[in-house]
Amino acid sequence: MFRKVLFVLLLVSVIISFGAKIQITIWTHEDPNRTRIEEKYIKEFMKMYPNVEVKRVTYPSDKIRDIVLTAFAAGKGPTIFNLEIQYAYPYITNRRVVPVDLNAIGLKSYDELKKLYVKGTLDAVTYGNMIYGLPLEITNWALFINKKYFREVGLDPEKDYPRTWEDLMRISEKLTIREGNIIKRRGFDFRYPYYLTFFLPMVEQLGGALFDKKGNPVVINDQAWIKVLNFMKEWGPNGKNLGSPTYPAARKEFNKDNNTIAMCESGLYQILRIKEENPKFYNSNEWMVVNWPIWKDAVKDVRCNYYGHYYMVNMQASRPEREMAWKLIWYMLSHPEEYLTEVGLIQPRLSLMQSEVFKKFPYANVFLEDLEKSHMIPLHEKDPQIEQLLKEMVESVMLSNVSPETALNTFKKKLAQLMEE
Amino acid sequence: MKGNKKRKLSLEKKIGLWGIIFVMPSIVLFSVFSFYPIAYAFVVSLYKKELLSLEAPKFIGLRNYIRLLQSESFWNSVVATLKFSVGTFIPMVVFSLLLATFILGRKRFQKLFQMMYYSPAIMQSAVAALVWLIIFDPRSIANQFMNFILRTRGVDYKWLVNENMLILSTIIVYFWKYIGYFTVLFLAGLASIPKEINEAARIDGASRFQNFIYITLPLLKPTTTLVSITAMIQCLRTFSTQYLFVQAGASIKPIEVITLNIYNTAIRDRNIGRASAMSVLLFLVIMILTVIQLKISRSEETYY
Amino acid sequence: MRRVDTKNTFSKLLSLVIDVAIWFFLIGFAVFVLIPVVFMFTASLMPARDIMSIPYPWIPRTLHIQNFWQAIKGNDGKFLFPRSILNSLIVASLTTLGTVLLSALTAFGLAKYKFRARNVIFLIILSTMMIPFEAIMIPLYLLIVNIGWQDTYTGLIIPLIASAFGIFIMRQFFITFPDELIDSARIDGANEFMIFWKIALPNSKPAIAALSVLTFRAQWDNLIWPLLVVQSPEKKTIPLYISQFASEKYTNEGALMAAAVIASIPMIIIFLSFTKYFITGAELFTGRK
Repeated sequence: MFRKVLFVLLLVSVIISFGAKIQITIWTHEDPNRTRIEEKYIKEFMKMYPNVEVKRVTYPSDKIRDIVLTAFAAGKGPTIFNLEIQYAYPYITNRRVVPVDLNAIGLKSYDELKKLYVKGTLDAVTYGNMIYGLPLEITNWALFINKKYFREVGLDPEKDYPRTWEDLMRISEKLTIREGNIIKRRGFDFRYPYYLTFFLPMVEQLGGALFDKKGNPVVINDQAWIKVLNFMKEWGPNGKNLGSPTYPAARKEFNKDNNTIAMCESGLYQILRIKEENPKFYNSNEWMVVNWPIWKDAVKDVRCNYYGHYYMVNMQASRPEREMAWKLIWYMLSHPEEYLTEVGLIQPRLSLMQSEVFKKFPYANVFLEDLEKSHMIPLHEKDPQIEQLLKEMVESVMLSNVSPETALNTFKKKLAQLMEE
Repeated sequence: MKGNKKRKLSLEKKIGLWGIIFVMPSIVLFSVFSFYPIAYAFVVSLYKKELLSLEAPKFIGLRNYIRLLQSESFWNSVVATLKFSVGTFIPMVVFSLLLATFILGRKRFQKLFQMMYYSPAIMQSAVAALVWLIIFDPRSIANQFMNFILRTRGVDYKWLVNENMLILSTIIVYFWKYIGYFTVLFLAGLASIPKEINEAARIDGASRFQNFIYITLPLLKPTTTLVSITAMIQCLRTFSTQYLFVQAGASIKPIEVITLNIYNTAIRDRNIGRASAMSVLLFLVIMILTVIQLKISRSEETYY
Repeated sequence: MRRVDTKNTFSKLLSLVIDVAIWFFLIGFAVFVLIPVVFMFTASLMPARDIMSIPYPWIPRTLHIQNFWQAIKGNDGKFLFPRSILNSLIVASLTTLGTVLLSALTAFGLAKYKFRARNVIFLIILSTMMIPFEAIMIPLYLLIVNIGWQDTYTGLIIPLIASAFGIFIMRQFFITFPDELIDSARIDGANEFMIFWKIALPNSKPAIAALSVLTFRAQWDNLIWPLLVVQSPEKKTIPLYISQFASEKYTNEGALMAAAVIASIPMIIIFLSFTKYFITGAELFTGRK
């Protein structure tokens, strides 16, 4: 009797689990261009696998970290997600995500997978011989310029564009329009909270570093750091007053072409955002992109650090869900050319980088030139806290008149404290 | 007690049972959603617990507290919270007392003023913070206003940039939002002072100012103390303004109040143990203030 | 209050001067309080360029209604803002309803029934006032996670409905409630719950109204709890939606102010219709009324 009941129960559960659709949720940061193409791929995918239901949700990029984190802590994380790699890294080290399912994507080995990508671009998600994510985009920043404003102040953008940080400051001063001390138009402004991305390479260009050879965070070459901090101090409201973290984000204002900013730093995707948001400006040919600056007396030619977004799959998803999730990711990512032409994202696939499409894409060569000289932001489990400490240091120098030496010492002390824990 | 006496339960006791039934749901909810979490905070504060980690938390005794007391970021938060609280609640109490005194008895206008002063309190803190953030933009009306008043041109008062100005900005937002609320509290206190006392004094020839200093203020003392502590506790608990200001790019150090630090430690740094230790300390401080508050509101009933 | 019996004109003059000064103070303060409100309303009708122009125009040159459309539609065109208004209304109303009913029930039990440990229970309930929400938010959040209420309305509402303050207020009210009403109902054969439901509740409207308004206002304003509990966009409340909208890349200042205006409208309506209770609600707090 008991056995019969058990058997029936088993049968029912098998039927239910087969009949039920496999639910997959994707959480990703907002980007209207990407949403359009990914929604399309998802539709196609659901046609191919009618038993799969996919729900894609977007969040603003500075909110998604907290949201994914609180959800994961709750055991309610999405099946698929992506974060900037420095924020996604703890998910790997805490074993909250699963390695790429080779069967699902139809490959034989991780080596085969690695061969499809530009060398080193999977290192960030490699942990203990396994690969935990597939790259959606690798992003480095270059310098965007609004040519109109250059000509307005008597500069020829094609010839006089800034090549060094010193140039950048000098030209920015020319471009800035103020009423008294109040800035109405900035020449250039940084992308403030992203200190691991833009601040560290500025230090490295001068021979400094934040990580030793073993990957432990430690301040190397104080002089380099102090020079960069001095530059930031000069930049800020207590120096030459060229910009500050409290003004609206430079890259956001740039697209509007409304005389509030002349230059900003951003990734290739910015180009298609301009096209989307302000087609008139996009078509006007009044903007251009040049290489990220370097110090006049630089000792090392590195450019802006690049960061990556990798699609990852939740450990807590069920087996069939995981498998389908990797299939879906692989399917979406198998359109690298469209990701480039529609969204402006660079998937570091060799096939893409060598393609005509890539070569013909506006300013792709500029980004590629920089990319070849740069490296990924250093990964560490405590990256979020380290970035916070960098932020505090730079802000204390820029906004609160703390001397660079003092700020650097405070930073060292706090860094040591953080690492002790 | 039970057993054979059960049937003899008097009617009164039976009715009394209903009282217990009526009180039960609250007791359950308080146990689950107030007492359990605070007890949990005490316990977890003794453990090393990481938000993302799947491993079991590790017992580390008082180390979270020791770390906390050694950490600069904690003391910075204590200072930030104190600066904000003291800077907010003193002007708040002084101004709401003045406003209440002045509008009391202005028959036709009392209600109008009351409504106007109260109106910011109905705006959501998030909305208020965003409106003020735009006002504090260097190009916007905060600078324009200061330049107009001080007859300067193009001076940037660095509302969100300069450390002290930033603290002042958060104080302004909070002060603006709650001033009407506290004015109403004082009005209630003033209204409860028997009119005869004031009138008697006036017949004795006291001026209005004297009247206020020597009669009204002493009589209002319990209300003042009560309002001050309420305001103090409110200020210690501030979160939204600081959270949104930091989101908008203001530097975090001067305004990382303790609540924001708890949130960041738990969510950004994923360090639940330490966040709990901080919660426990915040709880102790507020507990002391509340005990004082309850004592006063008790004694006050017998005051007149 | 204004007529002081004095004989010489000097003090009359002084009194007048003080009076004028007080008027200036009151009006000046009203201006300070209202400027941000006026700014919000006017800016919501301007293109971003005008909002940041020096000097600020104060009167919109043209009515830039697009701001409102953009605010409602959202940057992704998914109309999540109306949804968040609905969510806020649902969450704040249900929390208020729960708080009021539970507070009234508990307070009625405490005020009108004699049982052992009644005073101790009341003290225990009062003692929860010492636990600031901010101190328990993290453990409470972890608890919600374990129960599986993460990202649900239940999780947003239930933990917040037991309120020591509400019980305190309602108890004050019920203590003065006439026993005769209760006794006569009992003689008529009503059971205790019916007495609460049919006699006590309907006769405590003023206290309930004041408590409702206070609770609703507080929940309407809540940012920190939804920040922890809610993940899905369709469950966001207004404060959460607004703070997210503000940080999106495409939001301009005009649309942001339009969103601020829309977010404020429900409360403005409630405030204007129930002004009395907002004011008495605050008065209740001092425990004197």
